[in-house]
Amino acid sequence: MTYGRLILRNLTRHPLRTLLTTLSIGLSIFLVCAVLTLPAALDAVFERAASNQRISVHHKAGLTYWLPGSFVRKVHAIPGVSGINQFSWFGGIYDEPKNQFPNFAVDPETVGQVWPDYNIAPDALERFRRIRNGALVGAELMAQFGWRVGQLITLRGTVFPVDLTFEIVGVMPSGGGIRMLWFNRTYLEEAMEPKGGMKNVGMIWMRAERPELVDGIIKQVDALFRNSEAEVAAETEKAFFATFLDSLRGLMRVILIVGFLVVGAVVLIAANTSAMGVRERIPEIAILKSIGFRRGPILAALLAESMLQGFAGGLLGAGGAYAILEALRLAGKTGNTAFLGPLGGFRMSPIVAAEGLAIAVVVGIVAGLVPAWNGARINVVDAMRRLF
Amino acid sequence: MALPLGYNVRSLLLRRWTNAFSAGGIALVVAATMLLAALVGGLQHILVAAGEADNLVIMRKGATNDGSSQVPRDAALAIRAMAGIARGANGQPLASAEIVNQPFMRTPAGGRENVLVRGVEPVAFDVHRSVRLVRGRIMQPKLGEIVVGADASRRYGAPLGSTIHFGRRDWKVVGIFDSGGTAFDSEIWADVSDVQDDTRRDGYSGMRITVAPGADGRTLIRRIESDGRFTLQAKPELAYYGEQAETASSLYVLVLTLAVIMATGATFGALNTMYAAVANRTAEIGTLRALGFGRGAILLSFLTESLILSMVGMIAGVALAALAMFAVNTLLSGVAFSMMTFSVATVLLRPSAGGALMGLAFALAIGIFGGIGPAWRAAHLRVTDALRRA
Repeated sequence: MTYGRLILRNLTRHPLRTLLTTLSIGLSIFLVCAVLTLPAALDAVFERAASNQRISVHHKAGLTYWLPGSFVRKVHAIPGVSGINQFSWFGGIYDEPKNQFPNFAVDPETVGQVWPDYNIAPDALERFRRIRNGALVGAELMAQFGWRVGQLITLRGTVFPVDLTFEIVGVMPSGGGIRMLWFNRTYLEEAMEPKGGMKNVGMIWMRAERPELVDGIIKQVDALFRNSEAEVAAETEKAFFATFLDSLRGLMRVILIVGFLVVGAVVLIAANTSAMGVRERIPEIAILKSIGFRRGPILAALLAESMLQGFAGGLLGAGGAYAILEALRLAGKTGNTAFLGPLGGFRMSPIVAAEGLAIAVVVGIVAGLVPAWNGARINVVDAMRRLF
Repeated sequence: MALPLGYNVRSLLLRRWTNAFSAGGIALVVAATMLLAALVGGLQHILVAAGEADNLVIMRKGATNDGSSQVPRDAALAIRAMAGIARGANGQPLASAEIVNQPFMRTPAGGRENVLVRGVEPVAFDVHRSVRLVRGRIMQPKLGEIVVGADASRRYGAPLGSTIHFGRRDWKVVGIFDSGGTAFDSEIWADVSDVQDDTRRDGYSGMRITVAPGADGRTLIRRIESDGRFTLQAKPELAYYGEQAETASSLYVLVLTLAVIMATGATFGALNTMYAAVANRTAEIGTLRALGFGRGAILLSFLTESLILSMVGMIAGVALAALAMFAVNTLLSGVAFSMMTFSVATVLLRPSAGGALMGLAFALAIGIFGGIGPAWRAAHLRVTDALRRA
């Protein structure tokens, strides 16, 4: 009988016990993977949507501070820029207050230049330029509300005292989690004309021609408006988004604590099973030793047993989590998945799956360590005396 | 005849390490469940407790929070003059027009986050009755003075007398207020005209009014919403914060799902322990049966043992959760949470009866489901077979 067979036989000796322990590890690893996916998925969403070549220029004091509209013209003087656009938060509500999504007034002329990575169809961009009340809508929003291109939708203003009706002229393809609606700034300006006009912009976006120009452009923008009526902060899109994630750190910490507790619980459970197994097998380990098996191989065989169990549980848990999130994502592509919220856009990275599997193997080893050590060190004479 | 409880306790103590591990697993599950429930509970509390029963929130129609709403100056004036609004000690109407701003704020750690700055008039301290000035005084207009919530003061290192920078200028901390752990404690209050200057915005974000005793809030709401000059909506403050807390409530579903999965895993562990206990005590069970204890007594006894195990686990879990909550609340001074309005609020983990009940329910379920199968097997051992092992 080889060691491999010995280990397998030992594992199948109490099929129910092995099954329960493996399932228990599997469930915990499933949870740990789900918990690890949350921060990783948030990072990934920003990773995909954000670009290091795009620069956000906003007021130094905060996003609620407007920039003078003239600033957009002024940044044109800076060389090495392939496109300039702007965002003004409209804060419109569609139909019901709970239907919240970001909607911005932009400049339709340069959308393609500043966001080439959004892969917006050329004919959609063309219509966006031509149609005064046109709107570009993120694919996920389209799916959530069941909108079609050509449909008219009305957003009720909350920050601006106007309601605006848009014609959807194109879709911003999914992939970056783009849950936004963009519309022509001129349309908002005209609507605001009788109510005091609108001269400010919320934020300016610039795209560098080449990545290595980014730092220089940021410095020049900062210098351009130093000691002006509104000092600005320029930063890459990635840095800009990263600050949003910062405020979630505390929450992540609690979630990680819970993850640790779960792993701790499963180590206890698995160690228990492992110890029970070794205790029951004291006589046969004694026999193995008395016929010449040494400590090392016995320890290795016992450890391999619990490690294998951890591995199986890890495969079950990590694989299960991966499959479920993938299924959710696919469901998110086809059907009505408003109820899933952000879950629909999440995707478990293979790295998280690998981490889950690694944790499971470590759980198996840690759980088996003490029982296996004790098992390998039993005193043959004592054990035999107990047996006979 | 039932087996005495002492038999179970001694049996458990006989295999104390195995049972301690099982109980430990249950304890960790209970602790994790309670921690998550405490987080959601804390989130709900800071919002729900912020509302006063007789206050109304007035915003622009369609707005979901006062951070994204606009109420013009003339509308605020018109509302202030309406009948049915309570009066303060000096006779002025308890109507607080407020402007909400969310500037960047540097954290001592070097991060940047949005802080909620509320521009108010002195009457705000009478309308928001949960807010109490605990140190210093109320700010004066036009001087760049601020009164800082207790949590914000801690989080941004802004004690009484210090000067902090946000927006376009430096601000002097002249007072510290405490609202008993509501969302206000993470806010900074400045004079309304100072915030209007700083943001270059005219008018207000919204209003809070206190309904006069004896007056009907619903009549007042109808009067505000039907005024053709403005497009405003009004709702009771409790309803407003209830809506804000809805996100937190939906988190409960998530907590419950996590807890069910964890508890299932722990049940498998308990099953293992109990099956092993039954297998080890086969001879003992046979003897008990031979002595005249019935199947029912054996079943009940093993189930009781499993339940004792899970209750010990639960008690340890509650203790562990209490310890973890204390650590998070005091050492980390709570959990920073980015709210719907994007500004950061500090949430203290809040032990609740609901969370404890959830932990108890899961511990009981683990005890019952982890014990029933093994107990059944013990009760249905054939006496002759069992005795043969003796």
